[in-house]
Amino acid sequence: MLSRIARNIYELGQQIERAENIARILDVNRRMSLEQSYFSELDVWSPMLAITRSRAQFDAAFDTVTEQHVMDFLISDISNPYSIRACLSHAREMARTIRERISEEMWLCLNKMYQDIQQHGKTENHDEFLIEIRQFCSAFHGLVDNTMSHGESWNFLRLGVALERARMTTRILEIKYYLLLPDNEEVGRPLDHHQWQALLRSVSGYEAYRRQFKARIDPFRVLRLLNLDPSFPRSVHYSIRQVADALKGIGTMNEEQYVLLQETEYFLDDLRGGAAEDEMMRLQLKTYLDTVQQRCEVIGAMINRTFFNSVTVTLTEFNRDHLSVQIPQQQQ
Amino acid sequence: MSHSAMMPPSFFNTCGAAGWDEAYDAAGQVRPLYQQAVNHFEALGLAGAENMQHSADLSMLNQGVTFTVYSDARGTEKIFPFDLMPRIISASEWSVIEAGVAQRMIALNLFLDDIYHEQKILKDGIVPCSQVMMSTLFCREMSGLHTPGNIHVQIGGIDLIRNESGAFHVLEDNLRCPSGVSYVVENRWVMGRIQPKLLNHYKVRPVDHYPQMLFNSLASLSKSDNPTVAVLTPGTFNSAYFEHSFLANQMGAELVEGSDLLVDRNILYMKTTRGLKRVDVLYLRVDTEFLDPLVFRPDSMLGVAGLMNAYRAGNVALANAPGNGVADDKALYAYTPDIIRYYLNEEPILPVIPTHLGSRESDLRYILDHMAELVIKPTDASGGYGMLVGSHASRQELSDFRKRVAANPSHYIAQPIQQLSTHPTLVEQDGCKAFFPRHVDLRPFAVCDVHGDVKVLPGGLTRVALRQGSLVVNSSQGGGSKDTWVLYPQQTESDHA
Repeated sequence: MLSRIARNIYELGQQIERAENIARILDVNRRMSLEQSYFSELDVWSPMLAITRSRAQFDAAFDTVTEQHVMDFLISDISNPYSIRACLSHAREMARTIRERISEEMWLCLNKMYQDIQQHGKTENHDEFLIEIRQFCSAFHGLVDNTMSHGESWNFLRLGVALERARMTTRILEIKYYLLLPDNEEVGRPLDHHQWQALLRSVSGYEAYRRQFKARIDPFRVLRLLNLDPSFPRSVHYSIRQVADALKGIGTMNEEQYVLLQETEYFLDDLRGGAAEDEMMRLQLKTYLDTVQQRCEVIGAMINRTFFNSVTVTLTEFNRDHLSVQIPQQQQ
Repeated sequence: MSHSAMMPPSFFNTCGAAGWDEAYDAAGQVRPLYQQAVNHFEALGLAGAENMQHSADLSMLNQGVTFTVYSDARGTEKIFPFDLMPRIISASEWSVIEAGVAQRMIALNLFLDDIYHEQKILKDGIVPCSQVMMSTLFCREMSGLHTPGNIHVQIGGIDLIRNESGAFHVLEDNLRCPSGVSYVVENRWVMGRIQPKLLNHYKVRPVDHYPQMLFNSLASLSKSDNPTVAVLTPGTFNSAYFEHSFLANQMGAELVEGSDLLVDRNILYMKTTRGLKRVDVLYLRVDTEFLDPLVFRPDSMLGVAGLMNAYRAGNVALANAPGNGVADDKALYAYTPDIIRYYLNEEPILPVIPTHLGSRESDLRYILDHMAELVIKPTDASGGYGMLVGSHASRQELSDFRKRVAANPSHYIAQPIQQLSTHPTLVEQDGCKAFFPRHVDLRPFAVCDVHGDVKVLPGGLTRVALRQGSLVVNSSQGGGSKDTWVLYPQQTESDHA
């Protein structure tokens, strides 16, 4: 497969997943801000900007952090690469270049969502729109699995989805860090309880948690569910296993691709075997999340380099020596 | 309008038809060939036709059968307006077109190979040396380069019009990147869905094998048994991107951009997730000047550095060959009948329109004196950009254009205004929606393989000027398209009998 095409499919998956997670995070924050009696002293909107790494850009455009501003910025501001609109526009642009590799239904579904988001104005009620985004993403994933043949294209698509999901789940956990500040003194207070509950809802994990651990919300158990649970589909563990499966499906054609698969397998071993749990216990939440994010970034960078972004060419010197060298491609 | 009240209520209005209408004869009677189609639409009525139009438009939009309009800053995708009523061509008329198009393809291929090698036609004085050698479209890099089978034009689109005499005339040749064939195939597909009965009644020759024709012609250029064929596109922002992706997809070829390719030791490769893969044949949909920054425009981001070296070394076949522009230049057009006589020793089957060259002293004087009766075109532009239709221009426009022509006479040609034939087309006019006559042209497509064997697709793109009285049919200038039905022989003869 052409590297550019593979990258476009990968980015399609990545952007859809990113849009979904932003919608999820905004949704949970809406709920938290609605219950003003508990959260009045908290600024729930600044963390949104921190976890989407867009504080500087926000400050350049707005004076104050208000719900309205943050919602506009993260939903419809096309200049913000972490807005839902920018993600879906990017996803559609990618899909347009790979029409023949995705199913007709996937294209129609995405194209319709794209047309809808162009018409969604700033003043409208965002709640229903956020629900529509989440439903669209779920429908899209359903179409990916049910209407697209599970070959190389499909594997690149789910590679993009899975890695972005692992990344975004750790970002969602960061909310907790930003809201409570590093020390965990408030553990057990009603405020804390409600925050963890809202966080679980944002990753659709409330039911899964209740079934496993009953009603009492224990922060450590939430962390375990979202990081280490092998069967919860938004956990880091589950996502990294998807990454490894996708890489195996694509196949390893050179040493670098083999090293990438190895790196992913080591990561998976740590999540599975308890090394990650040890770290989670030992390190502070933020430090732990940073290490997980760093491993995701390393894998992302390796995918980028080995599949999309480097080629081997011959250098000829004085018409005698032929030397094979790997060169990075130009990014467009 | 008063005339509509006086006339019997008909879905077909022939008011304003040209000297030759495709569906109605001079007496206003339906031509036998069109009788069934006219009856069909009369029975359908306006509501039925509008429903059908809506479903056709929706199908095109959802399929993404769109083109990009350059003048629109956001690069909005629009559908190419599609008219419900097909343009019908009888087998006997088609046989003339087919032979005429093939004749031109053969002659122009011989011409291109000659001017890039021995230049006999220039030495014999048939075509003036300056016309070829001073043309900006003459490509020095092609001199002495041996193309596979000595073929330069693998894919050609010849624009034809029918004037008031009823005979088809050549309007221009497109030998570089003729576009529109994807609409030919898509229009037929939509037609088959919305009007299966009419299509079936007429026994129409199919057009959906075009991608196979194209692939066979491209594959024949390579010595390899199983060549890798790729289509080079400028990218998604190009107005014809849909067509590039359609053709690549239908041929099972890879659709590549310049950044997907590299040349290593004179071999062309594409970059894949599994490393480099050799490309044997490249179907070019990028203009020559952007092909290779080492040879042509150094600022081009659309091409591949070293491509011309790989081509010259015979390691990759390019279609169409670079440098074909010199043969479809609007000034060279005036010499094409002589070119056909020179190489083939035959009379041209399809006539050309008398052409006045700005580069000739006497012609120039004539052009400047008769601007209001002429169509004046720049020699090197396409898509209907920069041309003037004298009869439709204001006095101010005429005088502005006169200055432009006088300043750079060899850049312009002029032709008597041709009364393009009209065809009933579903449009709104004076608040009434019905079939009104609108001007049409026809672009048949031909492919040529490495042995010089030319195949003409039985069909073509009929473009229609949707504005009342307009003679400009280009999609970029508000034109639409019609499905073009070329009939099988036996049925036509019986219809005429």
